[in-house]
Amino acid sequence: MLWKIAWRNLWRNKRRSVIILVSVVVGMVAMMLTDALYTGMIRQVLTNQVSLEVGHIQIHRKGFHDNPSIKLLIERPDEVEAVIRQHPEVLHHARRVLTYGILSSSYNSSGVNIVSVEPEAERQITLISKSIVQGRYLKGEAHEVLIGEGLARKLEVSLGDKVVAMASRLDGSIGSDVFRIVGIYRTFDSEHDKVTMYIPLETAQHMLGLGDAVSEFVLMVKDVRQVDAVRDSLRNQLPPIYETLSYRDVLPLLVYQSEAMAQWMMIYYVIIGIALVFGIVNTMLMAVFERMQEIGVLKAIGMPNRKVLAMILLESTILGLLGTVIGIGVGMLIYWPLSHSGLNLSVFSESLASFGVGAVIYPVMDLRILLSAGVSIPIVALVGAIYPAIKAVRFEPVEAMRYI
Amino acid sequence: MEIIRTEKLEKVYQDNSVPVHALKGIDLSISAGEFTVIAGPSGSGKTTLLNLIGALDKPTAGKVYLEGEDLSAKSKGQLANIRLNKIGFIFQAYNLIPVLTALENIEFTMMLRGIPEKERRRRALALMEELGIAELANKRPTEMSGGQQQRVAVARAIVNDPTIVLADEPTANLDSVTGSRLLDLMERMNREHNITFVFSSHDPKVIERGRRLLWLRDGLIEKEDVRDAAPSEG
Repeated sequence: MLWKIAWRNLWRNKRRSVIILVSVVVGMVAMMLTDALYTGMIRQVLTNQVSLEVGHIQIHRKGFHDNPSIKLLIERPDEVEAVIRQHPEVLHHARRVLTYGILSSSYNSSGVNIVSVEPEAERQITLISKSIVQGRYLKGEAHEVLIGEGLARKLEVSLGDKVVAMASRLDGSIGSDVFRIVGIYRTFDSEHDKVTMYIPLETAQHMLGLGDAVSEFVLMVKDVRQVDAVRDSLRNQLPPIYETLSYRDVLPLLVYQSEAMAQWMMIYYVIIGIALVFGIVNTMLMAVFERMQEIGVLKAIGMPNRKVLAMILLESTILGLLGTVIGIGVGMLIYWPLSHSGLNLSVFSESLASFGVGAVIYPVMDLRILLSAGVSIPIVALVGAIYPAIKAVRFEPVEAMRYI
Repeated sequence: MEIIRTEKLEKVYQDNSVPVHALKGIDLSISAGEFTVIAGPSGSGKTTLLNLIGALDKPTAGKVYLEGEDLSAKSKGQLANIRLNKIGFIFQAYNLIPVLTALENIEFTMMLRGIPEKERRRRALALMEELGIAELANKRPTEMSGGQQQRVAVARAIVNDPTIVLADEPTANLDSVTGSRLLDLMERMNREHNITFVFSSHDPKVIERGRRLLWLRDGLIEKEDVRDAAPSEG
């Protein structure tokens, strides 16, 4: 019967209950969608980095990740490849040579990351082949180069122009070669596009005097949840001169950001929660003082304090639960189309691109968000009603019944 | 059998730091089955006396015994429990719970006592039938007249078979005909079920119905009248 009384009491002042309900729902939807948006953004950055260059797993000569020197090479790549092939979980793998150098045009020059790839294998792993905005992707021909739009602007070159790349060879001398721009690409990461050039693997091996040696193997696994298991297995099977790293190992900052974001969201939840608590305290106090005489009567006819307390807390908790259900419903109604179409933030595309995020953010609503919002709001409602409930308990029946 | 006894009962209120002596030493005994009216003008201390007998308030001095138990020694929780189990209240302004129907209002105190839903429903409906208010079962207080609400309040007060029913000016908000019918009802319950009623009033029509009259003036019992039998109904 207490539930019945609490429920009916809620609707005695419909306008007040609806106003607090709307504020609970708005707060909850704001919490859910902001969290989903940030979660989506962080995941997108992580996914973008994985699909742009990092892959799921990388294998290098030990120490290469900390100090990516041309001298730290996988000298017998076939041996490593044989171990990779023993893992059916690995969907694709590719070899790369990575180094730094200078790329010069007739007008300008710029420091660059030289990424040398097996064009067809790379096509299976990264998005670079799908990011061409002018010209074509690499075919594996000697002297062909792909550069980013930003780099092209910087060097004041266009499709078909010649550029000269220079980099340290393995023997310490300077290796250089002339390349013709066969394609210009644009990714979601404008910083990457300003400093990265792609050339065929064999061209780089020749230019740098590496023979068959490579800097790294990059792997994609069939199921991202298998990444750690595959990494550990490869680590066990490969000689200790190699390091095997997952994308989480390679991008610790992004992983940290992702975890930190979850913590920041908790602070955000607390801030919204505190605002809602004040709203609920105010509403419930009004409700309690409006019904002071009635509460006095209830106590006079023998209602124990714990039941008076329960009645007030129940009212607020029901309000919180109702707000939660409606909030989740409204939140999902807004989230559902957004998760498919994405939220177009092209107005901020320049700044987002510098963070490695596309102009369209796809929010991600996961169980953590639903649980955080779904549990926190009823708790907030309960906490907000404690003070008014204590006030109600402290009413003396005789005094309260005189109150009009 | 004595159910209420007060000894030198005093109550002093502070009105803007000025002490107001509402009761100045009341010695009183009420036995089971009485139909007692505490009469007196406004400010004579009727409601204060009922509040002290009803365990709603604590005396400044003196004692109240309910079935031999000293109420002044009880905690607030124990007093609430005594009110729930031993005392029925009828208020001037009816004071039904506005969000509950008549039936639910009558069931309410049984719910607080932990009586199972089926049993309390059965008892509430049987009592409503007996009091002639069965048709009000699903009506909320706002859908009932004052007389109907007060009948439901009577049902709420007696449904737990209390030791005593205290009614503070129960007819003050009712017209004379409705008030008279309510008194008939309470007299019938007193006669047929031996329920002890103590009510306060300053209305001569109510006072004349009491079998025992306690006249209160300035916080003291001025005189006491006892009649052998209640006047006939109607």
